[in-house]
Formats: sequence, structure tokens, C-alpha cells
Amino acid sequence: MRLFRRALYALGVASMVAAVLRLRGTGGSPPQQGGWRELSDTDLA
Amino acid sequence: MTGPAELRVGIVGLGAVGARVARQLVSDPRVAQVVLREPRRNHLDLVVESLGPKTVIDSGTDNAPLDADVVVIAAHNGEHGALATVAVRAGQSVVSTTDNIDDVRALLSLDAEAREREVSVVVGAGFAPGLTCLLAAQAARSFDAIDEIHVAKVGTGGPACAREHHRALSRSALDWREGAFVRRPGGSGRELCWFPDPVGAVDCYRAALPDALLLVPAFPGVRRVTARVAATRRDRLTMRLPMLWPTHPEGGPGAVRVEVRGQRGEARDVVVLGAMDRAAVASGAVAAVAAQRVAEGAVRRRGAGGLAELFSPGEVLTELRQRGVRVAVFQGDLAGETTAENGALDGADHTA
Repeated sequence: MRLFRRALYALGVASMVAAVLRLRGTGGSPPQQGGWRELSDTDLA
Repeated sequence: MTGPAELRVGIVGLGAVGARVARQLVSDPRVAQVVLREPRRNHLDLVVESLGPKTVIDSGTDNAPLDADVVVIAAHNGEHGALATVAVRAGQSVVSTTDNIDDVRALLSLDAEAREREVSVVVGAGFAPGLTCLLAAQAARSFDAIDEIHVAKVGTGGPACAREHHRALSRSALDWREGAFVRRPGGSGRELCWFPDPVGAVDCYRAALPDALLLVPAFPGVRRVTARVAATRRDRLTMRLPMLWPTHPEGGPGAVRVEVRGQRGEARDVVVLGAMDRAAVASGAVAAVAAQRVAEGAVRRRGAGGLAELFSPGEVLTELRQRGVRVAVFQGDLAGETTAENGALDGADHTA
């Protein structure tokens, strides 16, 4: 019974850590410079 | 080939995208008549009343081919394969707006039959896939050889598109890696993708998207093709549940981004192209231009394939530009000069 409770507790902690990492983790860094330029008909030719 | 104002185009399904396709075609002087089929009779009557005398209601049964030169299928996902088969067997070219993997597979399997009957089956003629295929092909023109294509999209067309987007996140993604299709878990692989303004940076994830199925045949030798879709934390938490809230009937602003990596001379380089628009509006324009070009015979070959394979990207993107769908390139040397400042992509409606 004690082992079962410990396993359940460990599972709960692991799930919470996984949920936090999944939802709060960073997705990368955005470009530091640059921008979008519309393509003209010449660019598309 | 059909002459001026002789073209009859049929449309199956008048949701957010189908109605936009109809509007685009009605405004095209080369189109004589637009034949509409839609199970919701009240909705059909409203669309016909709104679009005027060029539109007619299809009088055939659901399983009969439409009386048209080209058929645009904008019906619910899951129906595209069967509808296209009927049209191809009637000798009609087909343009499908599907973004569903099973539909795309069914449509691509019509290739031999379509070639034999000398008709075209344009697969995935929407925002993504569709516009993204054209962007990939356009970007590839500047390379000697390409080896990676990475597609990302944000935004949905109408409610049916939003449901497909929701389902796609919980299903296995289909990536192309080193000569084979690989299944990856949907909702995994977070990547911060930088879309044209005003959308900006959005986290995107793997999902069941058909882009690799359409891009791999168009770019022989490509080593990696991936596709991602934008999702919020709420989307990811609820992705395995039914949609819990109503969707916007017309969808909101969307954007697509295609990153192509390859070899130019001795150097490796990256080109990033993107577009910002309302997804249903851009999808309508892409499908309408595809239908027009198929009817004119302006295709690279007959048979089934994606837009990258069947069309010359520059010509189609130029025509889309005239209809208001504008494409941009990301340039690292435009420090401090964004499109928001120069007014390049303001997301204006262009449904005339």
C-alpha cells in the first residue's frame, strides 16, 4: 500500500512537472533584425 | 480550352471558402456562369441572391456530375475523393480546397485516371496547402537545388476549417525525412515562427497536415519537408477533446510562412516567403485562379497534383497579387524597416 502511494505521488509530481514544461517552456528566439518586404511583379516574373 | 466568357465553373459546398470562390469567379469577366451545389437550401438561396445573375443552382442529384467545365470542391473534408472521382469520370477537371491528409491521398490516387482522360485534379488549392505550395515553388526558383521546405500557418477559414485544424493537432503529423515519410506526434515540435505583420511571432506545432504529400513530388531530391500549425496553450490542452467553443463564421486574420533551404552556387542559403490575409479570402482567390488556369489549359501537365507541381508559381502569384493576395519575403537586412511601416501587407479585404 505504501509503495502504491509513493508511486502515485511520483506520478502526480511527474505529471505536474511535464504540464509546466509543456505550457511554460520557451519556443525559441525571434529574429533580432530584418523585416518583410512585399514582392513586386518584377520579383515574381 | 475555353474562350472569353464561355467558362462554366461548378462549386460544391458554400461554406466560408466556397462562397469566397464563388464571389471571385463571379467577378471574373472570363467566367460566364457559376453553378452552385450546397445541401443547405436557405444558405444557397442567400448566396445566389447576393452574387447575382451569373450564379445558378445545380439541379442534379448529389451524386451526379455538375454541368460545368471545371468543378471546385469546397465541401466538407472526407467527401473530396468521391466527388472528384465522379467529376473526373465525367471528363471534368477538379480543383479541391481540402487540407485533410486522407482527402489528399484519395485525390492524388486519381492521377493515372486523370492523365488518361486528359483532365486536371488540383489538390489543396487553399491558403495552406495551396498558397504555401506556390510560395515554396517561387522560393525554389532562386536555388540550384533545394533540400528542405518548412511550412507554417496560422488562422482558419470557416468553422469547418477550424474543426479540421483542431483535429489535426491531436493526430500524427506527416513529415518527409531523408527519403521517407515519418509519423510524428501531433502537438509536438514547438517552433516560434515569424509571420508577416501584423501577425508576427506565433508558436507552431506539428499536426496532421498534407503539405509533405503535395510538396515531395514537386521537388524531387528534397530531404526534409515539415508542416506546422499555430496553436495556443488552450488549443494544446484541449486538442484531444471536441471543440468546446463556437468558431468565427468567417475566420480571422491568418498568415502563412514557407522557409526553403538549399544550395546556390557553392553556398547554402535560406529564403523565407510569407503572406498575411484572411484564410477564407485567400483560399477563395487561390481556388478561383486555379480553376481559371485549368480551364485555359495553363497547367504544366494533366493529372493530379499540388499547385507547386501543376502551375508556374510566378504567373499564379502575379494573378493573385492582382486580386489582392500579396506575398512578402523576409529579409535580414531590413533592420527597423518592417512591412507595418511601409504598408506592404495591411491585410485589407479584397473580395471584389
